[in-house]
Amino acid sequence: MLASLVNVTKRYRTTEGVRDLTLHFPAGQIVGVLGLNGSGKSTLLKLIAGLLFPTAGEISVFGGTPRGNRARTVFLGETDTLWPWMTPADAGRFMDGLYSDFDPVRFGELLDVLEVPRRKTKAMSKGERGRLRLAMALARSAKLYLLDEPLAGIDLISREKIMMSLVREWHTDETILLSTHEVAEAEGLFERAVYLRDGGLVLDVAVEELRRDGKSVVQTFKEVLA
Amino acid sequence: MRRFRTLLWLEHRRSWIWSVALLGSLAFWAWGIKQVRVWDVAERLGIRAGLLAMACAIGTVVLCLMIGRIRSETRHGQYQVLLLTPPSGYSHIAARYLYVAGVAFAYFITIGFLYWWIMALAGIHLDATTLVELVLAVPFYAISVSVLPLLAWTLLLMVFISAYRVSGPGWIPGTVMLLGTPFALRWLIDGVVRVSYSLPGWRLFANAPAALIERFGSPDPETTMQVNEILYNGVPIEPLLILLALTVALLVLAGRIWQEVEA
Amino acid sequence: MTTETWILDMDAGPIFEQIGRNVREQLARGDLRPGDKLPSARDLAATLSVNPNTIVHAYGELEAQGIIEKRRGLGTFIREDAPVETMRKDMLREIAETFVNEVRRLGVETDEAMAVLKEAWDAG
Repeated sequence: MLASLVNVTKRYRTTEGVRDLTLHFPAGQIVGVLGLNGSGKSTLLKLIAGLLFPTAGEISVFGGTPRGNRARTVFLGETDTLWPWMTPADAGRFMDGLYSDFDPVRFGELLDVLEVPRRKTKAMSKGERGRLRLAMALARSAKLYLLDEPLAGIDLISREKIMMSLVREWHTDETILLSTHEVAEAEGLFERAVYLRDGGLVLDVAVEELRRDGKSVVQTFKEVLA
Repeated sequence: MRRFRTLLWLEHRRSWIWSVALLGSLAFWAWGIKQVRVWDVAERLGIRAGLLAMACAIGTVVLCLMIGRIRSETRHGQYQVLLLTPPSGYSHIAARYLYVAGVAFAYFITIGFLYWWIMALAGIHLDATTLVELVLAVPFYAISVSVLPLLAWTLLLMVFISAYRVSGPGWIPGTVMLLGTPFALRWLIDGVVRVSYSLPGWRLFANAPAALIERFGSPDPETTMQVNEILYNGVPIEPLLILLALTVALLVLAGRIWQEVEA
Repeated sequence: MTTETWILDMDAGPIFEQIGRNVREQLARGDLRPGDKLPSARDLAATLSVNPNTIVHAYGELEAQGIIEKRRGLGTFIREDAPVETMRKDMLREIAETFVNEVRRLGVETDEAMAVLKEAWDAG
């Protein structure tokens, strides 16, 4: 298992982020993490990334602690984390200097494929920034990718480019956890779908099974979460 | 090592405007010094020294603002990026601190030069040893017992506030730290004063009186004796050692808190 | 090979089956011919925004059915001896069965159905 959660609860001051979650993620899966706003998708990914500590339960990533293994995990969060003065070259320098698995050549190729302009991020549109952040993430060769709403608020063309890049860059021994509201657009990617509601696990199913019953991931979403 | 250098580079890119503005402001103070047109030499020198003292105070405030800018990062999610990078919290704290401390050194050494300049303008000619003491030793001592610990304290305060922002009202631990500081400070100063001069003092400015006498003539024997006594004692080493140790302790604590911080 | 020729419906059953059916339909229609090169699994997956394993699965099934083959170093190709005629006949039968089922649900008699069919054929 690349990542395992056992009875994990995360309580914030007034709310519960996730409630008694038990999930296991082996290598080589692309998993959709689906749910309404506030269902705990972000919390789940941040717990695995080591950005949050659980209130109860155990999380292990690569057999150790999440934060201890942050060099082997890629987390692409929802908030725009780039400094406004950074250019793609700066971002590359930043990543190259701090991550040993970062490939500057691949980064350059991804910037071209994703058509990221060579400007400061404050002069970029949201879609362009999203593509830059994706290029930064995919130019690393980690085994575990945690993508929290990578398509949120991004224009259609950029979303298509992002998904194509995801498909191209994924290796069969890597695991991607992808949370998104664009379920219809992304559902083709998922091998497995994890549905969350109010911090709890509602359904964890192989997408093939759903389709064999003639149901899409979207339809199941509506059935299970509406 | 490469990672640490990258962190320093990041600090520089984040803060270079502050650094340039701060160091550039010294040109303004230099201009101000030239504008002082008082007839009496000693008075002129006094006013100019006062201006430089103001520059020291304002510079210290600016340096604290520079180092305490974590809050703006937290709001834009950049905190998240740094929490996820491989280097430890200690590395992040050290990089931020060393950059600002470096700027502080540059700033106060330049002020040391400006003190030399205003003395030269007053016709006081300092020899090479005194010059080196004025420009290097004095800034080093002065900021090590004041500015450097203050910067570490500011950094710790900001990390404290950011750390407890998510899991509770962040202002409470921060306020506790703020309120507790005057008491801790009084206790610290008492302790330092009591311990001072247990070790031999650091003698500085042995040649300075000669330069002053050359310019202004000899003072009365009473003053001469007092000055000689002060020069003989030198400045106490204990405050320097204690406060440098305290600085390191504050930074280690800040690093530790960073390690446990949540996004 | 444009995206328009590959139509996926997420509610219509497993994707790998749809891909397989797509290939067979294209062969039956003549859009694909024996000997033609298919996109690599990775390229097709990227074009369709679909999990590469799905395409691999689909290609695997088509290979087992004797429709495609992997030529080492060159790519994936429709076999020269792909049973195109059989596929056309199968497809024709499927269309006929669908027509018959739909018509039966309307409650129409055989003669009327055939007459309307001939009309539509002559018109088009």
